[in-house]
Amino acid sequence: MDENKLLELSGYIVEKGRQRGASDVEVLSRSSSEVDVVIESGEISGVENRLSDGIAIRLYIGKRMGSAFTNIPTTEAADEAIAMALASAKVTTEDLDWVALPEPGKYPSIKGLWNDDIARCEPAKAVEIAGEFMKRATEAEEGLIAAYGGSGVSLYHTAFANSSGISHSERGNVAYAILGAIAQIEQGVTPMVLAFDVKRHMDLDLEAAVDDLASLLRVCKNTVEGRSGEHTVVMHPWAYGQILSYTLMQAVKGDNVARGKSKLEGRIGETIAPENVTIVDDGTIPTGINSSFADDEGVPRRRTPIIEEGVLESFLWDTYWGNKTGEESTGNARRSMRQGLVEIGGTNTVVEPGKRGIRDIVSEIDHGYLIRNVQGAHSSNPESGDFSVVGNPAILIEDGEMVGAVHGLMVSGNAFDLLGKCVEVAKEPIALQGLIGPEIIFEGVNVITRG
Amino acid sequence: MEKAVERGQDLGAAYVELRGEAGFIEYIQMDDLRVNALTQRIEQGVAVRVLADGAWGFVSTGDLGSLDVAVEDAFKMAKAAAPTRREPIVLSDLKAVHDVEEVKVVRDPRHVPIEEKISYMESMTKVIKGYDSRITAVTVKVRSASGKKFLATSDGTRIQSDVMLVWSYPWVTGKEADRLSAARHEEASTTRGWEYLEDFATPEFMGEEVARRVKLQLGGVPPKAGTFPCVIGPRVVGTLAHEALGHLAEADLTVNSAFNGKMGEVVASEGVSMIDDGTIPGNVGTTRYDDEGVPTSRVELIKDSFLTGLLTNREYAAKLGLPASGNARAESYLHPPIIRMRSTFFETGDWSHDELFEGIDFGYYCLDMRGGQAQMNASFQVGIQEAYEIVDGEVGKPVTDLSISGIATDSLFKIEGISKEGFTFGAGRCGKGQEAFISDGGPHTRFLEGGITFGGQG
Repeated sequence: MDENKLLELSGYIVEKGRQRGASDVEVLSRSSSEVDVVIESGEISGVENRLSDGIAIRLYIGKRMGSAFTNIPTTEAADEAIAMALASAKVTTEDLDWVALPEPGKYPSIKGLWNDDIARCEPAKAVEIAGEFMKRATEAEEGLIAAYGGSGVSLYHTAFANSSGISHSERGNVAYAILGAIAQIEQGVTPMVLAFDVKRHMDLDLEAAVDDLASLLRVCKNTVEGRSGEHTVVMHPWAYGQILSYTLMQAVKGDNVARGKSKLEGRIGETIAPENVTIVDDGTIPTGINSSFADDEGVPRRRTPIIEEGVLESFLWDTYWGNKTGEESTGNARRSMRQGLVEIGGTNTVVEPGKRGIRDIVSEIDHGYLIRNVQGAHSSNPESGDFSVVGNPAILIEDGEMVGAVHGLMVSGNAFDLLGKCVEVAKEPIALQGLIGPEIIFEGVNVITRG
Repeated sequence: MEKAVERGQDLGAAYVELRGEAGFIEYIQMDDLRVNALTQRIEQGVAVRVLADGAWGFVSTGDLGSLDVAVEDAFKMAKAAAPTRREPIVLSDLKAVHDVEEVKVVRDPRHVPIEEKISYMESMTKVIKGYDSRITAVTVKVRSASGKKFLATSDGTRIQSDVMLVWSYPWVTGKEADRLSAARHEEASTTRGWEYLEDFATPEFMGEEVARRVKLQLGGVPPKAGTFPCVIGPRVVGTLAHEALGHLAEADLTVNSAFNGKMGEVVASEGVSMIDDGTIPGNVGTTRYDDEGVPTSRVELIKDSFLTGLLTNREYAAKLGLPASGNARAESYLHPPIIRMRSTFFETGDWSHDELFEGIDFGYYCLDMRGGQAQMNASFQVGIQEAYEIVDGEVGKPVTDLSISGIATDSLFKIEGISKEGFTFGAGRCGKGQEAFISDGGPHTRFLEGGITFGGQG
C-alpha cells in the first residue's frame, strides 16, 4: 500500500476515533516490503520476501491513553482497532502529566531517501549481488568461508495523522549486502569477521567490503596471546557503537533523565569528554539509514548535538517527556508498532572525524588492541554505565602492526569514564546501520586476557 | 491454506509449507505507575515456504485473500536462488502428521479484565518501591498471547496448535548519591494462563526477586579482573549451557563453528552431560511438534563428556545424516523456521553443596544473569547481576556488575564439580535474528581457575 492510501486510512481513523469519543487521536501507518537473499555456509540458501502492513493507533480520553495495532489495512479492521484502543483507554489509569499531541511543524529537506532503482530491484538482481560478494570474498583470501550473510532491499511507506493537525506521508528505501566470514585454523575457527555496505542507491561498494573482510581475516588466522592490564585500545565503530548504545545513548534519553535513571542528569554544559569528542544525533543526514522527514509522532527530524567538543550539549526528547519537563521535542520519538510503546530513540549517531588516517595511528602503537566487534554489550548496566564485554575479533597490535587475533579477550570499564580516555578519532567515517563514525582510540583501557 | 499447498505442487515445488497464525496479543508497560503502553491486537498472517530446484523461497503476508499469489512469489524466489547452488537443499523424510495440540488453561489472558492486569502491575511496583527507599524507578512489562497456529505441508502434515503466553518482567533502578544500579527479573509460561501470575509469578515474588538484587548491587564491591575459581548457580549455569555450548550444537551454526567435526569426541570434563529437551511438560520451549511438523525430542548433546548430538531441522538432518530433532522454530509468520533450542541444561553430578565451595581461597559465586552472547569461535559472554565473593570457602560480600566469559572448548574441561542437588529451570528469551522463548538450567557447578574469565574493573 502506498503512502497516500495509508494517509487516507490514517485520516479516517483520526476522524472516526474522535467521533466515537476520543479527545485526541494519532495514527502511524507503515507498509513495508523486504527482499532478503540468505547466505548460509558458503551458499545462497534462498530468498525471503516480507510484506507487512501495520496501523498503530494511540488515543486519549481526557488523560487516559489506549492503543491498538492491526496488520490489516482496511477500514473494517481499523474500526475494530479503534474500539480496542477506546476500551483500553476507558479502564486505564489517568496520566496527569499528559499535555497534548504534537502540533504540525516544518519538515527538513533531505534528498535521496527514495531511489527508483532500489524500488525496481528484482530478486534475481539481489541474488546476483550476494553471489558476487561471496565469490569475490572467497577469491580474495584463501580458506575464507562465507558463513552467513546476504543482500537485499527494504522499502517502506509511512503516514502520520493526528487530531492536532499533523498529516504527513513519506517513503524511503535502502539496499545492502553483508557477509560474515571465518576460516578454519588449528584451534578451531577464527573469530567471525563482518563486512557490509548499505546505501540509499544500488551502487554498493563490494570491493571495499571485500578488501576489509579479507585483510582482517588474514590477520585473524594467526592466533596470539594478549596481556592483561591497561592498554591502548582502538575501537571500530561496530564495537564502541554497541557499548555506547547501551550506556551513553540510554543516559541522554530525556525519559531516563527525568526518571532519575541517567548519570548525566543535571550536567548539561559540563565537560564530560576530551575536546576531540563530538557526537551528534542526526535524523536528517541523507546517507543515514535512520533518516526521515518525521519521527514516529510526525515531529520533524533534526540534528541534535549531544556532545560538542567534549561538552554535554543536549538530551533527546519526544513530545510527552518534552512537555513534562518544559523541553522541546527533538524529533526522537520511536514507536514499537506492535507493542504500541512510544519511546525516545536515537536516529543516526554521528561521530565527528579527526585528522589522521587509521593506518598512521596504528603504525605508532607499540602495544595495543583493535576491537572490531564485541559480545555482550547488551548486558551492560545502562544506569551505571558499567560494561564488561568480550572483544571478538580482538586484534593485537605490536610495533605498529596488526599481528593476530586474541581469543576471549575482555574489555571492561565504565562508558562515561571511557569517553574521557579518548585520545584520538580517526579520519575516515565508516557508515553502519544507525552510526556513522571513524575508529576511536582510547588509552588506559582495562584489558583482561585468559590465563 | 490447503489449496495454496496444491498450487505450489502444481508449479512443481519439491516441498510447500504454509504456516498460518491468528490470535490475540497484548502488551502493557507501566513506568513508575504510569501506563506507558496498553496495546491489544488481533493479528493474522501466513508464512509460505517453498523448496524448488534445491533452494528456498519464503514469503510472509498478512493478506489471507491472496495465498496463491504468495505461493507463486515464493516459488519465483526459490527459482531465483536455485541456479547459484552447488548442492541442492534436500529434506529428511518425515511421516505426515494429523494432530491437534491443545493448551488448556484456567484463565485465558484474552478474557482477563484489563483492570486486573493493571492492578497486578501496580501491586508489583508498590512491592518494589516499598522494599528499599533507594529504589528510584520501576518499569513493569507484561505480555500475553492467546491464539492458534496451523501448519499444512505438501507432505500431508496438518497440525493445529494452541498458542499461549504470559510473561512478566520488572526492570528496577536504585540510586544512592552518585551510584546507580539496576536489575531485572523475568518469568514466563507457555502452558498456563493468567493463573501463572497469580500463583507463581506473583507481584510479591517478582517484586522481591528484583528489588533484592538492586539492593545487593548498591551495597556491592567492585569485581576483580582475571580468572578465578568459581561456583555458578542454576540460572547462570543454564545460560552457560545455552550460550557456551547450545548455540554451537545448533547444526546450522555447528558447521562453521569450533565444534565442527567433533562428534564423538571428548569436549568436556568427565561426568559432564548436557541435554536439550523439547518434551519436558510445563517448560517454556516445550511443544509437541516443531514448525516443520517434526515431533520434538530429548537430544543428548554431551553424554559423559562426549559430544553425542546436534539440534537439527529437516534440512540439516538430511545434510548431516542425523535425525530431525524437532528444533525448527519461527518467531511468527513473519519469519521462516530456523534451528533453536528449547530447554537446555546440564545434568546433576555427585558433589554436595558444601564441597563445591571448599578449598576456594578467593573466587566468585554467580547466581543470576543479565543477557549473554555466543560466537562461532566458541567465545561466550554472560552478564551477571547477582554475584558474591567466595573467601576461604565461604560466601562473602555481594559484587556489583560484572560479566564472565570463556572459550567453551576450553571452559568445559575446567568443570571440576557438579552438585547432586536438583534445580529449577529459568525462562528466558534468545535472539538469533528472531526471538524464541526458551528455558535453561543446571545444578550448581564449580569451575577451576582458568575456566572462566571475570571482566572486572581492575
